[in-house]
Amino acid sequence: MSEATVLHLDQVSRIHGEGATEVHALRSVGFRARAGELVAVMGPSGSGKSTLLTLAGGLDSPTSGAVYVEGTDLSGLGNAGRARMRRTSIGYVFQDFNLIPALTAAENVALPRELDGERSAAARRLARAALAEVGIEDLADRFPDEMSGGQQQRVAIARAIVGDRRLILADEPTGALDTTTGEEILKLLRSRCDAGAAGVLVTHEARHAAWADRVVFLRDGVVVDETGADEVETLVESGHPA
Amino acid sequence: MSGLTSGLTSGLMSRWRPALRIARRDALRHRGRSILVLVMIALPVLAVSAADVVYLTSDVNSVESLDRRLGAADALVTAQPGAGKVLQDFDPNSGSTSGAGGSDQEATSLAQVRATLGREVPATEWVETQLSVDTDRGVIDIGANELDVSSPLADGLFKLTSGRWPADDAEVTINAALAVKGFALGDDITIHDGKTLTVVGIAESTTSRNWPRAVARPGALGADTQGTHQWLIGGGAVSWSQVQALNAVGALVLSRAVIENPPPDSERPAEIRSWSSGVDESVIAVVVLIVVMALLEVVLLAGPAFAVGTRRQARTLALMAASGGTPRQARRVILAGGLVLGGTAAVLGVVLGIAVGWALLPVVQHFSDSWLGPFEVGPLHLLAVAAFGLLSAFLAAVVPAWLASRQDVVAVLAGRRGDRKPGLRSPMLGLVLVGLGVAASAAGAGQLGGGSTLIAASAIVSVLGMILLVPVVVTTLARLSRRLPLVARYAVRDAARHRTRTVPAVAAVAATVAGVVALGIGNASDAAESEATYQPQLAMGMASVTSYAEEGDDPIDWSAYADAIHRQDPGARVSEVVSYDAPSAGSFVDVELRRPDRPEREMFMQSYSGTFGNLLVGPDMLGLASPVRDGDLDAARRTIQQGGIVVFTDARVDGDRVVVGGTRYSDDGSDDDALEPLQLPAYFLQVRGYGPAMAVVADGVLDPLGLTSSTTGLLLDAHGLSKADEDRIQEELRGLDSNAYLFVERGYQADDATLILLGILFGLGAVLMLGGTLTATFLALSDAKPDLATLSAVGAAPRTRRGVAAAYALVVGAVGALLGAAVGFIPGIAVTYPLTSTTYYASGLDAAGDPLPSHFVDIPWLMIVGLVVVLPLVTSLIVGLTARSRLPLVARLD
Repeated sequence: MSEATVLHLDQVSRIHGEGATEVHALRSVGFRARAGELVAVMGPSGSGKSTLLTLAGGLDSPTSGAVYVEGTDLSGLGNAGRARMRRTSIGYVFQDFNLIPALTAAENVALPRELDGERSAAARRLARAALAEVGIEDLADRFPDEMSGGQQQRVAIARAIVGDRRLILADEPTGALDTTTGEEILKLLRSRCDAGAAGVLVTHEARHAAWADRVVFLRDGVVVDETGADEVETLVESGHPA
Repeated sequence: MSGLTSGLTSGLMSRWRPALRIARRDALRHRGRSILVLVMIALPVLAVSAADVVYLTSDVNSVESLDRRLGAADALVTAQPGAGKVLQDFDPNSGSTSGAGGSDQEATSLAQVRATLGREVPATEWVETQLSVDTDRGVIDIGANELDVSSPLADGLFKLTSGRWPADDAEVTINAALAVKGFALGDDITIHDGKTLTVVGIAESTTSRNWPRAVARPGALGADTQGTHQWLIGGGAVSWSQVQALNAVGALVLSRAVIENPPPDSERPAEIRSWSSGVDESVIAVVVLIVVMALLEVVLLAGPAFAVGTRRQARTLALMAASGGTPRQARRVILAGGLVLGGTAAVLGVVLGIAVGWALLPVVQHFSDSWLGPFEVGPLHLLAVAAFGLLSAFLAAVVPAWLASRQDVVAVLAGRRGDRKPGLRSPMLGLVLVGLGVAASAAGAGQLGGGSTLIAASAIVSVLGMILLVPVVVTTLARLSRRLPLVARYAVRDAARHRTRTVPAVAAVAATVAGVVALGIGNASDAAESEATYQPQLAMGMASVTSYAEEGDDPIDWSAYADAIHRQDPGARVSEVVSYDAPSAGSFVDVELRRPDRPEREMFMQSYSGTFGNLLVGPDMLGLASPVRDGDLDAARRTIQQGGIVVFTDARVDGDRVVVGGTRYSDDGSDDDALEPLQLPAYFLQVRGYGPAMAVVADGVLDPLGLTSSTTGLLLDAHGLSKADEDRIQEELRGLDSNAYLFVERGYQADDATLILLGILFGLGAVLMLGGTLTATFLALSDAKPDLATLSAVGAAPRTRRGVAAAYALVVGAVGALLGAAVGFIPGIAVTYPLTSTTYYASGLDAAGDPLPSHFVDIPWLMIVGLVVVLPLVTSLIVGLTARSRLPLVARLD
C-alpha cells in the first residue's frame, strides 16, 4: 500500500474492571487504517467495536499496547495532548449526533477550531466551508433542534472534518436515521475518504459495510475475520511488525 | 361527621400516596440534589429556630424576672417626693406617671404604706442609687445598693460568689464588674468625697452584670436618694386595688400577685394604655415584609434543584402521560417532592436549631449585660418556622410542577432537551408589577409617616415583577451572545435554554442584591444627612475642658486641670480660655450685640450658651472656629490687636462697627442693671455652623462696660489624641472634679453600628449570591453532562469544564446582580425621602450655612460596584477553581 497509515493499533488490549468483574474488551488487537481508506468494523454487541473507537480517539487508554495516530503514540501525550489530537487530527461522528443544542450548526462545526484557540471569525469561516462540503451551508445559523436527523448528522460530519482532519471515527452514524438518509451520510463519508482521509466506520449492518474498502470482524475482543483487497498479514498482525 | 372527615382524608391520601412514594424514592436516589434542597431550606429554618431559642431564653419577661426584682418579697413599693397621685401600668416599669404634687411634698412614708394596705406588713428598705468611687486613676460611677441582705425579703436579689456579706457598716460587697477596676477581697474602697469601706465579698446582682455595683448595709454607703424611698414588702399578696390605693398616695408598686395574674386590660389607666398602643401595626408590617422576603429568597434558592429534578423525571412523567396519566398526577409527583424534602428539612432545621441555640447560650451570656432567663423553647414559634420551611419547599416546587404538567410528551420522549419558548404574558405582567412598584415607591416617598413601610412593600412588588422579566433578559442576552468567546457563549445560551433552572437562581441573586442596594442607599443617605447637618462645637481636632463650681465650692483651679492633662499626655498643648461673661457669684450677664446703623431694638446677636462663654479674650481664641474663608483669619487677628471685636457669624455680613450692650441680672432677681453700650470697630468672621462664642476681643477692651474677665475652661490641642487617651484624661479629670467634662471635636463620626450593618449586609449578599450561583452552576453542570462529553470528544481540554462552570457562574451572578441593583435603586432612592427629610430642621441651613436640600441621596457606589462587578467575578473564580476538570465520556445510547 502506498498510502500512509493514519491509525495504527499495535497489540492493543483493554481490560475493564479487575478480579471477578474483569472484562476483556479487546485482546491484543492489531489494526490499521490508511489515508483514503474507509474501514468498517463489525461485530455483535459487546464485541469491542466501541472500545476500539474510544481508544483510537484517545478518549480512553489501552491497558497494554499502543495507539498511533499519524505516527504519534497517543499514550505518550497525556490528557491535554490527546485533546489536542482530537481538535487537529481526529474527528468523531456519533450515532446520536451529539451536537450541542445551545450552539448553532456553524458554531458546532467551529467548535474544534475554537477550542484550539482559533479566532471565532476564522473558525466560523472554516465551519461554513465544511458545511458547504456536506451540502448544508444554508443551515449554518440553525440550532440543532431546528434540523432533521439527517441534517444534524451532516453537521456532525462537518464537525469531524473541519480543519482538514485526517482520521474520521464514525460510531453507528446511521443508527438514528432512515435508510435513504443513512445512505446519503455514508456516501458523504466515502467521498471524504476518497478525498484523502482515513475513516473507521463501526456498524452492525452488512449493507453499510459495502461502502467500505475493508471489513474487520470483532468477536469477544478479538479480530476474527477480515475481507477486502489487502493481504491478511497487513491487516491483522500477530506480533509481526508490518 | 368523623366518618366524612376520615373518608376525605383517606381519599386525599390515596390520591397523594403514589406521588409521595415516587417523591421519596426519587429523593433517596438523587442524594446530591436532595441534600442541596435540604440545606437550602434547613439552613434558614435552623438559623431562625436557634435565634428564637436564644431570644426567648435571653428575654426575661415580667413573670420570670420577678424573683430578680423582688427577691422573696410580695411587692416593691417606690415613693418619690412630690409625687401626689400617680398612675402606673401593671408593671410600673412598663409605664407610670410622676405625680403632680408640689416639690415640697414629702414622699409617702412606710407608715402611710402600711396604713393604706390596712395591715402591719414586714418591710425592709432597699436604697438603689448611683455613687462615685475613687480608682487608681480617677473616679468612676457605680450602682450603689444599701440593703439588709439578711432579710428574708431580700432573698434572691443578689448572689454571693465569694467572700461573705458585710457584717457592719464598714464593709461592702462588690460585683465582678467593679472588681476589675482594681479592687479585690480585703481591699479598701473609697466613696468619692465620702467614707472608706472594706471589700469583704463579691456579689452579683441577679438582674444585670456589666455595670459596676456595690452592696452594703443600710446607711453604710451614705447614699443620698434625695427623698426617694423603696421598700420590699412581705406579708401576703398585694392586689391591684391595693396597688391603685398606693398610687393614690403617690407610691408606685411592683406587685408579684398583679404581674403573675394580671387583671383585665381594661383595668389599666387610660393614660397608660394610650402610650402602648399604635406601635404594633408598623412592627407587624415590618415582620411580614421580612418573612415574605425570606420566603421568596428560600423559594428562589431551592427552585433550581426542583427544576432540574423535574427535568430528570420528565421521561418518567412523559411515560406516565403516554400510559394515560393526567397532567394533575404529573403535577402531584413534583409537588410531593417539595413536601417530602420540605418536611424533612423543616424537622431537621428545627431540631438542629434548638441544639445550636442551646449551644450558643454561653456565648450570648458572655456578651450580654443581663443574666439570661431559664432555657426556653417556644413550640408555637418553632411550629411557624417549620411551616415556613415546608411552605418554601412546596412553593419552590410549584412552578416546576406546573411546567411538568404541561410538558410536550412527544418532545420529551424524542429526547429533545431545553425549555419551551418563553411566552409574552408573564413578562408583560412583570412590567406591570415593576411599574406598580415604582408608583408605590413614589407614593411612599411623598409621605413622611408610614412611607418607609409602603416603600418596603413596593420593593417586594418590584422584585416579583423583576423575576418575571428575568427570562426575557436571559433570552435577550443569549441572542446577543454571538460575539462572545466559546465558553461564555455556551453558558449564556445554555442558561437561556434551561430557564426553569436559571431564572430562580438569577432571581435569588437579584432579590438579594436589590435588598442590599436599597438598604445601602438608605443607610448611606442617612449618614450623609447626619454629616451635612453636623454642628461642630469647636474647630476640628480641638478639645475643651469645662466644669462648674457648685455652691459653696472654691473657684476652680484650672492649672490643676492642666497638670492632670499633662500627667496623661506630657506633650499636650493646653491653654486657658478667658471670657468676659463668666457667671460670677450672685449675678450673670446677658450680652447683646447690635449694629450701630440699625435701630436700637434690632439686636444682631444675644447671649447663648457657648462652650466657654460668649465673649472670649485673646486672638488665639479665633482658632476655635472653622472659618469659611481662610484669608479672613488675618484680618480678624488685626482687628483684635487694634482693639476691635471679631463677631462670629454663619452668614455673610457687611459692616465694620458693633455696639456691645446687655444686662446684668442678679440671681435673686432683685437688681437688674443695664450695661452702658460700647461701640467698637468690628470684623464679621463667617464660620461654619454655630460659632464657639459670640465674639472675641483683646483683654481689657470690654472693661469700660464694667465686665471682668476670668478663665472659663481649657483648650486642648487634641490632634492625634486617641479615643483611649480621651478616656484616660477624662477619668483623671473626674478625679479632680466630678463636674469636669472633656469634649473632643472629631467632626462627624460615622456610627460604628452603621458601618457594621453595611458590612453584614454586604456579607449576607455575598453568601446568598455564592449560594444561588453555586446551586445553579453545579445543577447546570450536571445537566450539561452530554454537552461536556461532546466537547471532550471534539477535543476540548479538561479545563474547559472549569471554564464552562466559571462562565455559567458569571452569567448567573452578573445578570442577577445587575438586575437586582437596578431594582434596588427604586426603593433605595424612594426611602431617602422619608428617611432624610429636612423639613424637621427649623433653620433649613447646614453647618456651612448653605440651604439644606429637601432630602439627601448618597449612593454607596463602592458597595454597589463590589456587588455588581467584584462579587460575581470572585464567585465565578471560586466556582471555576472548585469545579472538577475531568470531562465525562460519551456514552452511546444503544
